[in-house]
Amino acid sequence: MTETKAAPTRERAPITARIARVRVASWATAALLVVAVVLAIALQPSLLSPYGIASTFATFLPLVLVAVAQAVVVIGGGLDLSAGAIVALSSVVAVQVMQGSDDRALLGFAVAIGTGLACGLVNGLIVSRLRLQPLIATFATASVFSGLALLVLPTPGGTVPAVLTGTFRQAVAGVPVSVLLVVAVALGWLVVRQLRIMRHIRATGGGPAAAFASLVPVAGAQLASYAFSGIVCGLAGLAVLGNAGSGDPFIGGDLALNSVAAVVIGGVALRGGIGSPIGAIAGAITLALASTILFAIGLPTSWRALASGLVVILALALSALGAPRRQR
Amino acid sequence: MRQRALGLAALATTALVVAGCSTVSNEPAPSGSEGEASAGPFTIGVSNGFVGSEYRTQMIADIEEAATEYQDEGLLEDLVLENADTDVNGQIQQIRNLINAGVDAIIVDPNSGSALDQVFQEATDQGIHVFAIDQAVTAESVINVGIDQALWAETSAQWLAEQVGEGASIVAVNGISGHPANEARWGAAEAVFEEAGVEVLTTADGGWDQATGQQQMANLLATYPDIDGVWTQDGMALGVLQALIAAEKQDEIVMSGEARNGFLRLWSEQGDDFESIGVVNPPGTGATALHIAMGMLQGQELDESQLQNGHDIVLELEEPVTAENFDEVWAEVQGEPDTYVLDSVLSADDVQQFFQ
Repeated sequence: MTETKAAPTRERAPITARIARVRVASWATAALLVVAVVLAIALQPSLLSPYGIASTFATFLPLVLVAVAQAVVVIGGGLDLSAGAIVALSSVVAVQVMQGSDDRALLGFAVAIGTGLACGLVNGLIVSRLRLQPLIATFATASVFSGLALLVLPTPGGTVPAVLTGTFRQAVAGVPVSVLLVVAVALGWLVVRQLRIMRHIRATGGGPAAAFASLVPVAGAQLASYAFSGIVCGLAGLAVLGNAGSGDPFIGGDLALNSVAAVVIGGVALRGGIGSPIGAIAGAITLALASTILFAIGLPTSWRALASGLVVILALALSALGAPRRQR
Repeated sequence: MRQRALGLAALATTALVVAGCSTVSNEPAPSGSEGEASAGPFTIGVSNGFVGSEYRTQMIADIEEAATEYQDEGLLEDLVLENADTDVNGQIQQIRNLINAGVDAIIVDPNSGSALDQVFQEATDQGIHVFAIDQAVTAESVINVGIDQALWAETSAQWLAEQVGEGASIVAVNGISGHPANEARWGAAEAVFEEAGVEVLTTADGGWDQATGQQQMANLLATYPDIDGVWTQDGMALGVLQALIAAEKQDEIVMSGEARNGFLRLWSEQGDDFESIGVVNPPGTGATALHIAMGMLQGQELDESQLQNGHDIVLELEEPVTAENFDEVWAEVQGEPDTYVLDSVLSADDVQQFFQ
């Protein structure tokens, strides 16, 4: 509560001062990304082969999308633990609708996005109207969405249209489609962030009371952040299908927590209001590369889980270097 | 602003550096064009997306043990393990890591029967042999190596149906609803009970976990105290038996068991009235697959007539543990720890039957 009261002064601080405060975090994010890329390539030079690049970015894409979705919710002062379940639900609904037919690929796209949006609206309404804690509310809806996914597709199966899996593995002018898609996500965000609602979301996350006093529609902004997250998770569902080529109701179970880690590594403050989805994208790539690096250095598998946990903690600690400064 | 610009710059450089190089290395196009049946030494990758069960631990240990023979002979350079708890998405990354590490063959215990097909295709397109163990996959370029899960379930279901007789009512403690192995097994077992006129009152999910299985059985006993039998799968039978013992019903309610030492030990401590069955689901199929992989890498070709559905190598079931052979089997394995799963690994000579 004290934080909320302190928020107005923070928000009114001059722009330059605000940048000075977050700079450390994003330097750390950028540095971590560069270190991860250099290490991964040094240890596994085959990552630079055409297949290496295409496959690595294809692996990034679902987490990159969910990280963007998570970043928007977190910047808006919320948290979405159901992101992975939304990805699973949208993907299985899309598989059932498409039935492997190329003609229905567009319909599948629309349905995946629609499913994501619907899930996001459910989360948004619960958090903004019923005012339940986002952590618990989305933990519960995650269970609901996973349950629905199991009803929609009781056993793994179904075929993804060849046009989707095929395009996902092609290259345009030598650049793999998966790379283009990751870049497109970043560019897409640069467009979306111009929207007024994104300013409202940021203001709400920075301090709901102050935002409300400044005539920001706080509840609407919260709802919008979850709805946006749902749509992007729907897209992630399609990315998952592109990778998998088939539906599975249990897909994406790790995505929700990994996206939270990616968001924090990306310099987004969990208390809301601070950070950018671009940072979250960098965080997602760093996180995905971390597992490739741990694999490439040939660490015994029994140590892998421990090490990947330590890497995440290290990355979080580095990204949070700026935090004490903000307190002063 | 600066923060965003920085993030963007880092991203863009990553993308550009990586993409820039792609055009350079695009020309050699390494995929698929590698030499056939070279003399080795080879590298084999293993991908497993679920750790912490005795079955999977023993499976990996069996593979490592089988690999040492080839490593000593200089035929196998490296056995690369990707062995961590993950979801389908994470296992796709595991497989891609193995492909990028340049392995010649991949042995995978898949988390999904179909959702890894595209990434398997990526591997086989580059001339990598892929073998799925424990759980069959639909990708036709992948060789499935394992027992027939439906037959495995039918064997114990048949036994249980005979024990309880027509008109009896039973319950089932299954693995995880929707999991392909569970569906294949329960689908087969359910058909057996239907044919035998045994009524299945309800099923519960025990998650292939002893503690959950025990808890579920205790709940079922409270709701259905008058059942004649219980059918369960491996990984939960010990828990189910403990629940029966706690309710002092182990001599009234007939249960199907498991071929694992913890269960067999408890079985050995029961009175003569207690009877059960343990059908072996050997973790050693991974090691068997390694022998097949090494054969294929050295230029041997599979005998098509030995394959079912064009890409399945179905291993024969071992004789199940029953009251008749219990003393004999138990004498053999009782020195092993409780976590030991009764096993069978085909040797390099045994797998010759699958080759031309």
